Amino acid sequence: MKPIAEILKEIRPEFDFTASNDFMADGMLDSFDMVTLVSTLDKTFGISIPGTDIVPENFQNIGAIEALLRKCGVQL
Amino acid sequence: MIPAQAIGGVFDAIQQVKAGAPAYCTNFFPVQRKLQEWVEHGELQVETRGEAAFFLRQDRDFWHFYFCARDPAALRREIIALADLKTRRLAADLVGNEEALREVLGALASAGFRPYARLQRMVRAGAPIATQPLIGDAEVVFADKADAAAVLGLLEASFDRFADQLPLAREIEAAIAARQILAVEPAGKLAALLFFETQGFTSAVRYWAVAEEYRARRLGAVLMRRYLESHSAVRRFTLWVVADNQNAVEKYRHYGYEPDGLVDHVLVNDLISA
Repeated sequence: MKPIAEILKEIRPEFDFTASNDFMADGMLDSFDMVTLVSTLDKTFGISIPGTDIVPENFQNIGAIEALLRKCGVQL
Repeated sequence: MIPAQAIGGVFDAIQQVKAGAPAYCTNFFPVQRKLQEWVEHGELQVETRGEAAFFLRQDRDFWHFYFCARDPAALRREIIALADLKTRRLAADLVGNEEALREVLGALASAGFRPYARLQRMVRAGAPIATQPLIGDAEVVFADKADAAAVLGLLEASFDRFADQLPLAREIEAAIAARQILAVEPAGKLAALLFFETQGFTSAVRYWAVAEEYRARRLGAVLMRRYLESHSAVRRFTLWVVADNQNAVEKYRHYGYEPDGLVDHVLVNDLISA
């Protein structure tokens, strides 16, 4: 299974996502990137992340994204 | 269409379409804070139809048109039944890579939308500015509260309200309070501005404008230079520009910006003339 850090790197190659604890505050993902990320996660893991979960705190860092995926039933 | 009463209802409408969608398509990428603002000001309306949901956001004398659909075919089926297409002035933005937008562009065209403008995103890596300092630079200041009306006036005179997502007065006031508007004001009159948004390592130029009577005095260059110099920690600079405005594109290239392949097709219905 593709690691989250790798998926993020494909969207924004110029940033080191493993070095940030808050991707939004650090300006590493914008709203369009968020949609691209949600779409990629949906396809990669065969899920549909609910619109109500598409909030910055669920994409704040790799740990938060993993927690969201677990909530959506993904076994990491 | 009915007014959106709460952001929860908007997310529910999206999720209803999105769950299990084989080729979900949308031009609606709301940030929660913005969504809340639109709902609070009664600017957002919603209509769900079968496998699609539609949203209208009021802006001056027209509405921004947003959709989400199970797939482009569902969008094509549902959009033609929307009564608002015939009664309201609508503008839609489709953001993505050219190839990925083709089907959705076709769906909107089948409902009577026509091309109005095409913007492209340009990106600059964080790096020291290469141009030489200007001799006798004009003084650059942050716009203040008293400049809000002049800022709005210059933006409306310099940009296209259908294509350029112009801010409302309240957004300008917020940007001034957040020190996001650099200005040159010879004799106390707003002559030029650079409106930006910075978040961490990323900064976007939203508008860069010089009033007609102050052109050819390098005021724009002074502003851009000051902006880039004051963002030395930023690693990624972005902006959107009308793709066929070669003059603007060349100016941005001069400062190190290059297109990154993302485009924004602006479409309008036939109640908006060219």
